[in-house]
Amino acid sequence: MSRSRRILGVVGQHSVLIGLAIIFALPFFFMLLQSVTPIEEAKTSVLWPSTFDFGNYGEVFDRVPLARYIRNTLLVCTLVVTGTIVSCVPVAYAFSHMRWRGRGVVFVLVLSTMMLPFQVLFVSQYEIFSNLGWLNTVLPLVVPSFFANAFSIFLLRQFFLTLPTETIDAARADGASEFQILTRIVVPLAKPGIMAVAIFQFLFAWSDFFGPNIYLSDEANLTLAVGLVRLNTAAARLGESNLTMAASVIFVMPLVVIFFFAQKIFIEGVTLTGTKG
Amino acid sequence: MSVAIGASARSVPPERLRAKRRADRKRRLTVLVLLSPWIIGFLVFTLYPILNSFYWSFTVKRYGSPARWVGLANYELLFTNDDLLTALGNTAYLAIFGMPVRIGIALLAAALLVRKRRGNGVYRTMFYVPSIVPAVASGALFFFLLKEGGPLSGLFGLFGADAPLWFRDPQWAKPALIMVTTWALGDLMLILLAGLVDIPRSLYEAAELDGAGRWAKFRHVTLPMISPVIFFIVLTGLIGVLQSFDQAYVFSQGVREGRLTGEPGGSLLTYAMLQLRLFQDGRIGFASAMAWVMFLITFVITMVMLATRRKWVHTATEEWA
Repeated sequence: MSRSRRILGVVGQHSVLIGLAIIFALPFFFMLLQSVTPIEEAKTSVLWPSTFDFGNYGEVFDRVPLARYIRNTLLVCTLVVTGTIVSCVPVAYAFSHMRWRGRGVVFVLVLSTMMLPFQVLFVSQYEIFSNLGWLNTVLPLVVPSFFANAFSIFLLRQFFLTLPTETIDAARADGASEFQILTRIVVPLAKPGIMAVAIFQFLFAWSDFFGPNIYLSDEANLTLAVGLVRLNTAAARLGESNLTMAASVIFVMPLVVIFFFAQKIFIEGVTLTGTKG
Repeated sequence: MSVAIGASARSVPPERLRAKRRADRKRRLTVLVLLSPWIIGFLVFTLYPILNSFYWSFTVKRYGSPARWVGLANYELLFTNDDLLTALGNTAYLAIFGMPVRIGIALLAAALLVRKRRGNGVYRTMFYVPSIVPAVASGALFFFLLKEGGPLSGLFGLFGADAPLWFRDPQWAKPALIMVTTWALGDLMLILLAGLVDIPRSLYEAAELDGAGRWAKFRHVTLPMISPVIFFIVLTGLIGVLQSFDQAYVFSQGVREGRLTGEPGGSLLTYAMLQLRLFQDGRIGFASAMAWVMFLITFVITMVMLATRRKWVHTATEEWA
């Protein structure tokens, strides 16, 4: 290929990349812009506000119990992450560094539950939680996570398999129990993997709408996701999209911050789910 | 492992053998304890609900009262129900038009980023970040962007075109849905990128020696080599489309509060939304029948895809997945 054609190719590729990048960034730009647009202008179709009104952020806290939503969401996230780690780490260990009859078959069973849509399960789960008197509490959202989920087991197992078997075998030969190996060798070595699972579960619990929408009803018990949808519905009628966007920024920003601090973990985790299905 | 135990069993004295057996039993118990969270969770939160809603799907059932057996009536009514056909039609639309757009753009982005070049990290981040935005937030965001007089309508205006009424016109509501989900293609892009990075350079060099142009290299090297990845994406994508809910819910709720009818004109009525409506109306037998139909559709899609895998996936990479 001639030099000039190669340069042309590089320029072409860069312009496609820049074009795509602008298209992908534009929604964020308009979200931030609208979140500081004064209310009178938000109701019209003005693209650029005359002044930046940061008061929208205070206003949205007054309009809906946003602080409560944040507190509830953080509570759910913390419990879900804790439950997932505590329950999935032992299971993943049994699937990676212990040998037992039927391991392959049971692991396929675990993986096949990953395929099951939540829609198949919730109709009947709802009655269980209703009978326990757990409706309108966070319990239906967090208790199941203490009983392991297939996705996290799978991810943790992938990470555990990369650990050196010699170290583990040596500890076993020295008479260490499986629990000692798990807590003193595997967990410390697999910290990045455990971190990845924690982040994914946090993200999932933070974003989840379907579950909280079914189980939570009192305004004071809602999570951010449900609160945002209700605000959007109400604000759409009044044309107050500036408030919806301010709430969206508050809802999305923590995730973006987490992403920037843990970018490498994110990308490795996503890649793992795709390449070894 | 077991061979070694069997071979040594003949030569070791019986007391050693007993100790060995005791150790084996202890190890099995350890495995059981380690697995117990999953076993309990599987029985209580997965197996029981599936079997239970299978039973309910043959009954008229309301929460708090016993189920009354009605045989196949729920299924018969479901398949003569216009709403179910609408929901399945919408799902098919999203699969047929949405998935190729999403996979195509994700593949384009991944292909442009596969070669190490300065600035690629920034582009990768910019393409990825939208996919961490929660679905209800991206729904609210696009609801604002596409509303009458919203920024995107404004951009249409700059080109002198009339912006479609995305959320009032049944023709345009689903394209709006496809637009949001395409914006969030970051996961797909990363998975495809990992697949592309794994393709050996030597294959491209060999193709170049054979005089292959850019398109020929893509068609005969890239596509076959990443076909396992695309297979995985299509399979999980199909299952995902069947569950699509959040953004459709936000769009249609923003337009009209109240019953989950998938406004405008049922064009946003997804399968999951219809099931939730039946559930909220207290028609648990129906909702259970829908759960089971969904289960079967998911199962059939997976089985058909896996059975025809050789057709889609390049065979030289068979050991890959």
